[in-house]
Amino acid sequence: MSKTPPSSTGLLKSLIAGVEGAVSADGLQKSTYALAHTLTRLAKVDSDGSGLGDPEVQDVIECLLQVLGFNNPGAAVAAVDGLIAMGPAAVGPLLANLDAHNYGARAWAVRALAGIGDPRGLEVLEDALATDVGPSVRRAAASGLGALRLENLAEQEREGIRLRCLEALEAGRGDGEWVVRYAVAVGFEGLALPLPPSHPHRERAVAGLRHLQQPEQEETLVVRLRAGVALKRLDNR
Amino acid sequence: MAGTNDLDPAISAAGEPISETEALNRLRQNDDQSHQYYAAWWLGRMRSRHPEAVPLLQAALRRRQPREATSCVEQNAVARNAARALGKLGDPQAIPDLLSTMDDDDDGLREAAARALGELRAEEAVPLLCQRLVSGVTGAGAPQASGNPRLREPCEAMLEALGDIGVSDPGVLVVIEPFLAHDRPLIRSAAARALFQLTGDERWGRRLVELLAHPQLQVRRAALMDLGAVGWRLALEPIRSTLAENSLKLIALRGLVENGQGPPDTETVLMAMDDLL
Repeated sequence: MSKTPPSSTGLLKSLIAGVEGAVSADGLQKSTYALAHTLTRLAKVDSDGSGLGDPEVQDVIECLLQVLGFNNPGAAVAAVDGLIAMGPAAVGPLLANLDAHNYGARAWAVRALAGIGDPRGLEVLEDALATDVGPSVRRAAASGLGALRLENLAEQEREGIRLRCLEALEAGRGDGEWVVRYAVAVGFEGLALPLPPSHPHRERAVAGLRHLQQPEQEETLVVRLRAGVALKRLDNR
Repeated sequence: MAGTNDLDPAISAAGEPISETEALNRLRQNDDQSHQYYAAWWLGRMRSRHPEAVPLLQAALRRRQPREATSCVEQNAVARNAARALGKLGDPQAIPDLLSTMDDDDDGLREAAARALGELRAEEAVPLLCQRLVSGVTGAGAPQASGNPRLREPCEAMLEALGDIGVSDPGVLVVIEPFLAHDRPLIRSAAARALFQLTGDERWGRRLVELLAHPQLQVRRAALMDLGAVGWRLALEPIRSTLAENSLKLIALRGLVENGQGPPDTETVLMAMDDLL
């Protein structure tokens, strides 16, 4: 808390007021962008995300969550960026509000959870990849399942979560949209890269990527090429 | 310009998921046109390989009727979906029927047929397309009537078809060039796209990139799709930074990977795609 630059409290308050007072779609987009941009900047200064005072964190997150429900895609994109910059602090409120708003808000919330990479989002990401009607939500979930931050967990817990991610990604290979299968390839790569070469989960991800690289099994060229790049990178380390 | 809707049309359309056999049966019957409409769409979307699919779609196309203000709209709706599906199925057998459809009074049907002929790379269609477009911006490219914003010819689809078919004859280029000066940006975009495909001249790629800065979202979306179709990789940065949905940027970048060549290299474009997921 003490690390917060003295000016940021007033600055964030005025930025939140700007979002809440926006009277046009364009104004909302611009003010949300300004807020998110400032958060991203503060998060860079303060990588543990604890630099803001508690009440401010709540205010900012509350404000951004509301923007997700306004049916303004430009503003929602900025709000998702802002929530990702808030990091783990945003996960609890995101999960708690998941069903409070409309479908659109839920879709944006899934994208924020995918970007934050907190393991608490696992179940939401699994469910989104398997069942969401929007390809943009499924693709975000697939790439998010390969980018969960597991380093602070016990080994046994990590293994269990990784296994669930692998199973979700394997099922996602059969998605009807190329862009989702592309994101599945990205997910496999992200999941396997930190693992040592002989790790069974790494081998399973490699098998998933080989499947996506085969013209007999994968019809879309760009997906096969992405799987090929992933395999090359995994080979090199 | 397809694919701008995030939701799968299968969900918003009338039907449940159906089998191929059911789709063929629905197209074969003649009592319920909404069933035919869905079946024609389904066969194209699922890229049916069934030997009866193309003949049944051709029959649906032939069953179109002269367009009258009060009736027969349904009939042509089936024909339009049949034309679209025939484009997706890639069987050159369908070309003669699509060519004769280009004489239909229904410009929406001509539009669907032109796109299908482009997808089939039907060189036979080039003289007909040129003949329909040769009257230029004030002929083919003029609005049908006051109050009706549609152009006399479906110019966007026809220009795109000429580019996709790929006959880069000087006579074809001369027909396309005037549309670079059309007052509608979507037509200008289609003309630049076709000229780039036919000549490889980067001048036309730069025209498309300029349209990525257009104040209307609809124009930026069209320019994204057109840059993807031509695969001009030097457009990577402008595509990343234009204000539009990531879904469309991803489709455009897929086009850069699949239709273009470096620089930048394939991996660089793929990494830009990763950032948009």
